[in-house]
This record gives sequence, C-alpha cells and structure tokens, in this order.
Amino acid sequence: MRRRLRVPIVMALGLLVALAAAAAFSSAEVSFRSAERDGARVAEVLIGERPVIVLRTSAAGYTPLERAEIVANRLRTAMASEIQVEDVKVGSVSSGQGIYIRDQLVVAVYEPEAEAHGATPAALAGLWRDNILLALGHEVPEESATPAVEPAPQEGAEATPGAQEAPAGGAAEEAAAAAEIEAEPEEVDWTGTAQKWVPIFSLELEGARVGMAQVAGPPDQIDQVKGVYQLRLDFKSIGRIYAYVPVSTISTKLNRVQGVSVWALADIKVLGF
Amino acid sequence: MTAKRMIVLVAAVALLGLGLAAVNGWAISLGDVLKVGGVALLVSQYDDQIDSFITSALGEREAAVKGATKVVPILSLGGGGYVGAAQVVGSPENVSRVKAVVQVEGRFGSGRAQVLVPTTVDKAAGTPDRAKGVGVSAVIEFRI
Repeated sequence: MRRRLRVPIVMALGLLVALAAAAAFSSAEVSFRSAERDGARVAEVLIGERPVIVLRTSAAGYTPLERAEIVANRLRTAMASEIQVEDVKVGSVSSGQGIYIRDQLVVAVYEPEAEAHGATPAALAGLWRDNILLALGHEVPEESATPAVEPAPQEGAEATPGAQEAPAGGAAEEAAAAAEIEAEPEEVDWTGTAQKWVPIFSLELEGARVGMAQVAGPPDQIDQVKGVYQLRLDFKSIGRIYAYVPVSTISTKLNRVQGVSVWALADIKVLGF
Repeated sequence: MTAKRMIVLVAAVALLGLGLAAVNGWAISLGDVLKVGGVALLVSQYDDQIDSFITSALGEREAAVKGATKVVPILSLGGGGYVGAAQVVGSPENVSRVKAVVQVEGRFGSGRAQVLVPTTVDKAAGTPDRAKGVGVSAVIEFRI
C-alpha cells in the first residue's frame, strides 16, 4: 500500500516542480507584447508583469510592436547593471523629450505619440519614467513627479509609456528617429518571446478533449493565435504520434499560425468514441 | 553532429531515463535501456529527415521565416514512459542549442496535464537548462 502511494506522490511532486521550473524559466524581466486598449491595438513594454511603456503610433516605418521591441532591448541593456533613481532621467531630444538611463536614450517621445495619449511629450516622458522607476522597485521622487496631464497609470491599466521614435513629420524629427532606430541591432531579439494561454481542442482515437494550452513564439505571431488543435494517434502498446496546430481562427478550417509552439497544456475528456 | 557528441547525448538521455526510473521505483530492464538509447541514437542520426517529414506533413513551410525547426530526442515521463522524436520550433539561435525535450505528464481521472521542456546544456556550468523561446510542434514517440 505504501509503495502504491509513493509512486503517485513522487509523480505529483515531480509535476509540481516541473511546472514551477517552467514558470520560472519562462519569465522574462523585460518583455513586450501587443495589446488592445480603448479599442485600439497598441504595443506594451513590460518590466516584470507591469506595463511601463505603451506605444500607440508607428514611426519611421516601424510598427508600435517593432518599436516596443527596440525599447525592450534598450531596457534590457540598461538593466544589465543595477539602476538607481538618479540614473533614470527625462531630457531633451530633437523636437521632443527622451527618457535616459544613465547616458543611454531608452525612448524618445515626440508630439504624435504624446497626442495619442492626450498629453504633452514632457508629461508623457515623465509618466513613463515614473513607471520604470516603480517597476524597478523605486519610489518616485516628489520633485520629479510627473505633471498630472495623464492619470498615473495603474498596474496593467493605462501605464503605457511609448517609445517614441515617431517623427512628427519634420525632417529633423525623422532623421532623429531614424538615427535612434539604426542604433539598435538589426537582429531579432527572441528573449522577449511572447506567450499566452489559449483553448486547445484535441481529437484522438479515444475521443475528444478540450482544455488550455500555453503557446509561445514571436509576439506578432502569438497575437494571432486564437486556439490550438491537437491531432493525436495513440497506439497503446506501441507508441503515439501527435501534433499541435496553433490556429488564428476557431473553425473547421486549419488556419495555422507559423512559428508558434506549445509549452504546456491541460485538458479533460469531453467525448468518447 | 560529431560521433562524440552523439554518444554523449545518447548516454545522457539513457542516464536520465534510468535515474528517473530508479527514483520512481519503476522496473527497468536491459531492453528498456537499449530502447531508450537506440531511439535517441536514431533520432540524432536521422533528425533532418524526420524534420523534413514533419514539416511537410504539417505545413510548417513558413516556419523558417518566423523561426526555425529541429528534431531532437524526447523523453516523456509520468504517462507510462515514452521515448522518441520531437520537432521544436523557435528562435534560430535557441533552436540550434536544444539537445532534447523532457515531457512531464500526469493524468487525473479524465483530466491530463503536460509540460514540455526543451532542454539545452549550459556550457559554462555543464548543467541542463531550459531553452528559452523554444517550444514543441509535433512528437513521434514509442512506449518504453
């Protein structure tokens, strides 16, 4: 009896440890993602679970999501060493404001992005700087507190700082934006790989199952995933074959989303054959 | 893959299976060991062919644009014990570093849970590590 109990207990503990390890390994300190706010598609840069910058506008040929990736890369670089309160500053850039960490420009805020947030560039830059400080566990110094142009963003709410390489239309701004972007490495940084939980529908020899699956991949691809179909053949005494097909629509047609994979899943049997 | 690396990989997969079997009190035989090692060896040897087969079968044709694919040995534990081949998808750099996938699964009545952990080896520490930005697309495996 004891031995019978020991096996499932060890297995359950192993599963818990594996789940904890998976969660730990999958957490990126700085990440970015696509999101919907006020009915509009935006890109968020997060530190931990907290959105610190929200980008609403395209700039210099880069979508908000691509710009978020650039900003996330800069933040990662800056966060390689410990950041003090005085390291994060708002300063002037050509035709706008910028957030600097030490001497490195993290994000520039120009008029179009500020307008999209209903703020001035200075106010928006200050708001994002405060978000970064709070996300890093610092208190915002009162003397540098952001002017109340935009409500202070709460966690997960409107806490969106947008990296603004967006040129307002002036040649000088465009040049500044282009220079800023070109300073970034060209290669895609996958450390900001996005992930989310979506429904999974499994068709097997024994029946049908439904549940949830965690998918991972490039943020713009993950954004398209609405569910996962699992096709599974289970030959009890021999082996099994199964495939995960992330899809962009839940329908009878398999609209596969490329470049996306599955990390974990949990499901239950709903129909037996 | 060099012969030396292949031997190390097969040995690592076999040892992992043996260790976990011992921890869980499973009865193992020489046949099981040979099966695990043999399948891992075959997967390592024919990874490109298996990858091409899965890619064409699943229509992962644009995957190279969005990332990369690769076939590596997979060891599944908790659902009876399986070993086989898994196609991983993800960032080209990380996919190239993946050496194997460990799957932990559990059944609870009519429910089922699975965690897929693509694993690489930290060269500095020499220890297994989860490959970030990589997940599993398809699996072919055999019961141990």
